[in-house]
Amino acid sequence: MKVSKNELMASLKKAFEGLGFQPGDYYDAADMVVWLETHGFDGFDRLQKALAYLNTTAPNHAVLVQEDEQNAVLDGEDSSILLCGSEAVDLLIAQVMQGSAARLQLNNCYNRTFILQRLVKAAQRNIAFVAFWRQEDYCVKVSVAAGAKLPEYSTFAMTELLEPQTLTIFAGKELKIIGEQFSAQLVMGPLLTTFTEAEMAACYLESLERGIEIDEELWQMLDDLVARILVESTESSRAGAGD
Amino acid sequence: MDLNQRDNGQQNYSDLQLLPMRPAKQVMQLERLGSFHQSRLSFMRTLVRRMVSENWQITSPMFDLDEQGYGTVVYKVDAKYGTFSYVLFSHHLDPESRNDRVIANQWDLTMALCEGTVDAEQLEFLRNNVPKQEAGRVDSRVLVLSRANRSARTFDYVVDELAAGRQPCVDTLAEVGYLYRTTAAYGSGKLGMADWEKVRTKHRDFARPFAAEMFTCFMLRHFSMEQADYLAAQRAPETAAKLNTEIRRYMGIGNSTGLGMAPFLINHPLLINQWIEMRETALARVVAASEVGVDGATLARLETAIKRVIQHLGEIITADERQNKSNVLVGDELKHLHQWLRDQSPILACNHYVWADLIKYAEQNCRVETQEVINTLLIELYPELVDGLEELMDVEESMQVMPEMSVSQLQQIIEEKYDWALAIDFSQFESMGAFWYRSQEKMEPRLGQTNIDMGMEKEMPLAIGRRVRECYDLLCAYSQEHPQQNVAHFIVQYPTYSGIVSRIQTMAQSRYGEIRENLVHSDVLPIHLLRCKLSFFGVSKFDPRSRLWVRNTMFQGAPLISDFGKPFVDDWQFPIKPVLAYS
Repeated sequence: MKVSKNELMASLKKAFEGLGFQPGDYYDAADMVVWLETHGFDGFDRLQKALAYLNTTAPNHAVLVQEDEQNAVLDGEDSSILLCGSEAVDLLIAQVMQGSAARLQLNNCYNRTFILQRLVKAAQRNIAFVAFWRQEDYCVKVSVAAGAKLPEYSTFAMTELLEPQTLTIFAGKELKIIGEQFSAQLVMGPLLTTFTEAEMAACYLESLERGIEIDEELWQMLDDLVARILVESTESSRAGAGD
Repeated sequence: MDLNQRDNGQQNYSDLQLLPMRPAKQVMQLERLGSFHQSRLSFMRTLVRRMVSENWQITSPMFDLDEQGYGTVVYKVDAKYGTFSYVLFSHHLDPESRNDRVIANQWDLTMALCEGTVDAEQLEFLRNNVPKQEAGRVDSRVLVLSRANRSARTFDYVVDELAAGRQPCVDTLAEVGYLYRTTAAYGSGKLGMADWEKVRTKHRDFARPFAAEMFTCFMLRHFSMEQADYLAAQRAPETAAKLNTEIRRYMGIGNSTGLGMAPFLINHPLLINQWIEMRETALARVVAASEVGVDGATLARLETAIKRVIQHLGEIITADERQNKSNVLVGDELKHLHQWLRDQSPILACNHYVWADLIKYAEQNCRVETQEVINTLLIELYPELVDGLEELMDVEESMQVMPEMSVSQLQQIIEEKYDWALAIDFSQFESMGAFWYRSQEKMEPRLGQTNIDMGMEKEMPLAIGRRVRECYDLLCAYSQEHPQQNVAHFIVQYPTYSGIVSRIQTMAQSRYGEIRENLVHSDVLPIHLLRCKLSFFGVSKFDPRSRLWVRNTMFQGAPLISDFGKPFVDDWQFPIKPVLAYS
């Protein structure tokens, strides 16, 4: 079945609310899922994996374990980027605004591809980002120029063993500054694949024009989560609607 | 009105930022917002101006109704930039099944506005889904889905009269003002429809907020009278009359609006701020235009408009005692203002900032609703200063945390911009005596009473004031311990407050910001929220049925399709009964 972007957003927000997310969190999480799905990054597949975890535990966020002027380390405590991605990016922005570039490492977190949407949104504040993480046996690198609407997304062969559930993000006023300040940490192996801006834009326009294809089972799963925030209707409650 | 700014001779009124706008603490009071009337910037008004001036062509390639008026009708709409189809299904409905509530599942009419033309295959798809409304699914070729119920009081009466070769009595019609009542017009991607972003970027004809939804209601009005004519002609082919043109213009579409609309205003604060800012900008421009007095003709136009509103209010029939009383009082105050204008006119003609004087006089002597009628009428006087603002009614709605902000600055912002929230004593039971929740019945928003109704733990997050208070208290404690720290660190410590922090920081940058009301107070009047939004839609004749829902009319007095392309004076607000040539 096909759904619209607005409809999907509304459903996701309520579904995340059903999982116990608070208002800021469920807005952000819904944004992340919709962005990935509409830009060709398999947002629904990733959502299903995230739901398998989120459905079994109370929402928890990352905690700050280490920080200096240019570096911060957060422990995601096995949470999802859907929950701790925003606070990580916010912390990084705050550091960049006080200096020229900063690095943040988020350990023990899952569903890291969702960070793409947060980085693109944050880039609208004229900040550039580079993020990378290990995905199975390869490495994903994302670059977002300051003010850019779309990221550069590439995968590389791994040259060193990265921690499996760690996400590293660099931020600066420009990509060039990040490259200069953190060059040693941004050495990647041979390029494997690239997902171009044109491909992302085409996916987005297609979803806008024709709607977004969603598996009926997943749609039903979201409906079931939404049902958690609904209140049983009674004669008395009908009076609270204007009868 | 900030008269200090007004008296500054160095003001540049061509710059929006320097106009003497009314302050948020005055405008954003819920009672005032609930006293707004339609203006030139209301969505029905701007839509009608566009359709008439661009001479939209509307034909009906399919008008397939049986002798009872049931069947399928397709209208082809050739607007300036594109072609659309308005598809309507007319169904038999038992009177006892007729229900205006969201929870209804059958209606007299169901409609869809589609992009392009509709072929047989798509028509069949629509026939299988549109009548089901929320229980069906449509696709991204559909812009709006809507439904309507007949007015039990007027429809049969009008058809009977026309079939008898007579025109219906205007006084009888005035008791209702419409033949059909719409109970919902869904757009913005609901049920698989086209996203607002698609509509805004692809269909320039409907690229303003709620333009497509309003058009759907306008077409319903057109059909309602075509159907009445059709049924009369079916019954008496030789002798049936067609509805008089003046009566047709006077007839609108009824609307029932309940609590479903209320959360919209809280969940879209940037959009609401934009609408209000444009309306206030219009008012400020009008005041600025009276810098060197106003001419006699303009004063006379205002006097005529006031007399029209007095008549309009006198013609409203409502069972709601509070509204009736208000209509009478506003009418009396307008009569008083009318006399004041007459008495003062020689002085006013050469006064500086005449309209500021009038607004000030109204604020000192009249109730809020009368003040807002005057403001609306002043906006009507200067289309050349106002109408361009209609292009600025949309805004990108994105809340963003500013993590680099110091916690002390955030505290200060709350103290300055949310002083109204900090002034609420949430330790009082009444301050948290109500809560909003979504019902299992079609997710209908409902208002519950704390300690009486179930569901408090599933409360919708509409208690902005309370959430701000909680955030502020935490901030105060946090900043005592970490005075140099920024918002990012506060959020790391209290991550569940990121939503309210981003809202506070974002809205603090807007001119009007939040609606200044505790929406979970025991005595909250949600009807003010409904009426505020409805005024921006452009409805008239508010008829409250309780504090939770209101009936009103849409497009009453508006031009007809046959008026498109003809010279047009956009003055159909505050509709009054037509005087027919034969009466």
